[in-house]
Amino acid sequence: MADDKRGSLSGLTETEAKEFHGIFVTSFLIFTVIAIIAHFLVWQWRPWL
Amino acid sequence: MWRVWLLFDPRRALVALFTFLFILALVIHFILLSTDKFNWLGGHAAPSAAAQHMSTLPDTTKP
Repeated sequence: MADDKRGSLSGLTETEAKEFHGIFVTSFLIFTVIAIIAHFLVWQWRPWL
Repeated sequence: MWRVWLLFDPRRALVALFTFLFILALVIHFILLSTDKFNWLGGHAAPSAAAQHMSTLPDTTKP
């Protein structure tokens, strides 16, 4: 663990970085799906093109 | 891609990202509210076929 921290500017280990990245990607995908649904509903309401 | 979190502190990155997204959302919503077509809180309704049949006056054409 101590060796992992060497050279990391953020202070995270590789394991921590991978764990955070997984959460980040999952959250991003959920956010994107919600945004797509919202845009679909607004398009049904009043198309803008 | 996960190596980006070795460069950027996740806490700062999240604060920056959420701040950016919040301000962006605020700007977009206010822009939409300022338009006639996409103001969802009433005001001037967008011209549509259905809206032309709506009137607050009583229908005098019927006997």
